[in-house]
Amino acid sequence: MTPTLLLQLVINGLIFGGLLALVALGLALIFGVMRLVNFAHGIFVTLGAYATYLLVANLKLSPLAGIPVSALIGAAIGLVVQELVIRRLDNRPDLEKLMVTYALAIIGLGFFSATFGGDFRSYSAGPRGNIAFLGATIGWRNLVVLGVCAIAGLATILMVDRSRVGLGLRALAQNRDAAATSGVNVNLLQRYAFGLASALAAVSGSLISMIGTTTPQVGEEWLLSSFVVVVIGGMGSIGGAIAAGIAVGLVQSFASYFTDDGWARITIFMLLYVVLVLRPRGILGRGLPI
Amino acid sequence: MMLRANTGLAAAATIALCVAAASLPFLGVSAYLTALVYYAALYLALGQAWNLMSGLTGYVSFAHGALAGVGAYAAVIILNAGYPVAFGLMAGVAASALASLFISITSLLLRGVAFTFATLFFQELALLFTRKLEITGGAGGLVLSKIMPVWLPYVLMVATASSATLLVLVLLNSRAGIRLLAIKNDEDAAAAIGIEARSRKVVVFCASAIICGLVGGTHALFTSALYPDVVFQVDLSLIALAVPMIGGVGTAFGPVLGAILYMGAREILQVIAPALHLIIVGFLILLVTLLLRDGLGPELLRLWRRMRVRNVQVAPPQRGATL
Repeated sequence: MTPTLLLQLVINGLIFGGLLALVALGLALIFGVMRLVNFAHGIFVTLGAYATYLLVANLKLSPLAGIPVSALIGAAIGLVVQELVIRRLDNRPDLEKLMVTYALAIIGLGFFSATFGGDFRSYSAGPRGNIAFLGATIGWRNLVVLGVCAIAGLATILMVDRSRVGLGLRALAQNRDAAATSGVNVNLLQRYAFGLASALAAVSGSLISMIGTTTPQVGEEWLLSSFVVVVIGGMGSIGGAIAAGIAVGLVQSFASYFTDDGWARITIFMLLYVVLVLRPRGILGRGLPI
Repeated sequence: MMLRANTGLAAAATIALCVAAASLPFLGVSAYLTALVYYAALYLALGQAWNLMSGLTGYVSFAHGALAGVGAYAAVIILNAGYPVAFGLMAGVAASALASLFISITSLLLRGVAFTFATLFFQELALLFTRKLEITGGAGGLVLSKIMPVWLPYVLMVATASSATLLVLVLLNSRAGIRLLAIKNDEDAAAAIGIEARSRKVVVFCASAIICGLVGGTHALFTSALYPDVVFQVDLSLIALAVPMIGGVGTAFGPVLGAILYMGAREILQVIAPALHLIIVGFLILLVTLLLRDGLGPELLRLWRRMRVRNVQVAPPQRGATL
């Protein structure tokens, strides 16, 4: 294996891993703050992808404009879902929580399939061309995707670590009752967490539409890999999700080079079982018990 | 005593209905009607299998359709090797049971959602592997080389659905079933009074998978062809949980109501709005879970009892009754 090929595979892995981490970030946030495994997270990814596709195809805008638009639509619909449905799940048994987010995912899948059909959609507008880097070729498009992932991820981490809202979120994640008695506005923060997570998912969807194809199942596919990421990173751990996202991205990149996409997916999914058996609190052991 | 008598009556009614349904194709009933009964039985059997595991222990499975798929593949592989039908079905059962053990070993030692993840990924892995492997015919699928008489899968499916319903009924009225419900309600409290949860969960999941294996093997006799994208599509796993969720989780006859409603809704939707099927099923699960919680069956029962009580109260006092 030449160093150039190695570099190329690492770069591809970073791009895939950055997107995975961004999807997983929202999942980790929701699980940490609300103790909810959100099977509906994937529909926000699909939402962002179609929103960007429609902007590019119908209004002839740059896909870059689709990123903030997707974020806004994702946050708005996330808030509606939180208010109408998720809020009612507090103190319900796990079985009901799982069924409700799963039902939302099914409704979303049904909606996108009925509206857009099974066609694969993609577009060529937006950043184009390549740059050479130490002999490896990187498309501008991929570089933009990686950059946006890095900015969105860093902004979220800074918000959780440094801001007053982040303090409240961390308090909720640590001990919900104690946080509520100390005057943390639980409802407001849960709304915030769900809206933010949905916006992050929609942004990842927007980026995915730039470098891949948009189908009604695109969100579900990315959601599955992201579940592997949050389990490896430790449920509810944001740092763990980002590290595991990049690691899984690299594994995927190398596995699909040496075999094919199908075996690469099998490898990643098998990782989930290995981690469940050996390190059920995540590789770093920092996650909440699942 | 009261409970026992009611349970006996319910069991007798189930068996009578089973015999009546199973004899339909020999009475010259139209093929359309028998097909409807067959699909209702398929949905009921899958729903009861899910109900047995998830309804009684509270551990949600997304893999019941995939477990049936594994059973279907094993059955067809054995049948195509020239063995008789009984061997094929036994192979299907064994394969599904083994698959359930794989999921159990990796996740049932943990609490909560780990099991759900393990089942979710089992569904995906089953699809990816059957597409890749030689023995399962790859993406092109497998075709059953022998043609079976139509009544065989029909009778088998009706019998499977009824046996599964009886199993849940008997279990719900036994100590073993009450222990399972204790695990569902509070695993720590159950452990504190000496109910060992792990082995019980593994055994119940295995029993549930055995029903799935029978369903899969029988349905393979019915369809005669297996394609990975059809066998392992999310649809069957969705039906397995939608049927008890709509009809009544953790009850013996809720899934019967759920299966009949689901079959009817599907028939009607296929005519008027085939594209909206997923949306409507999703909304049904969502609304029932959010608003009714226990499902339609228990809710209707409650309504019926309330009406009876009200009628008794409304009845005017008899005039001239002796004091």
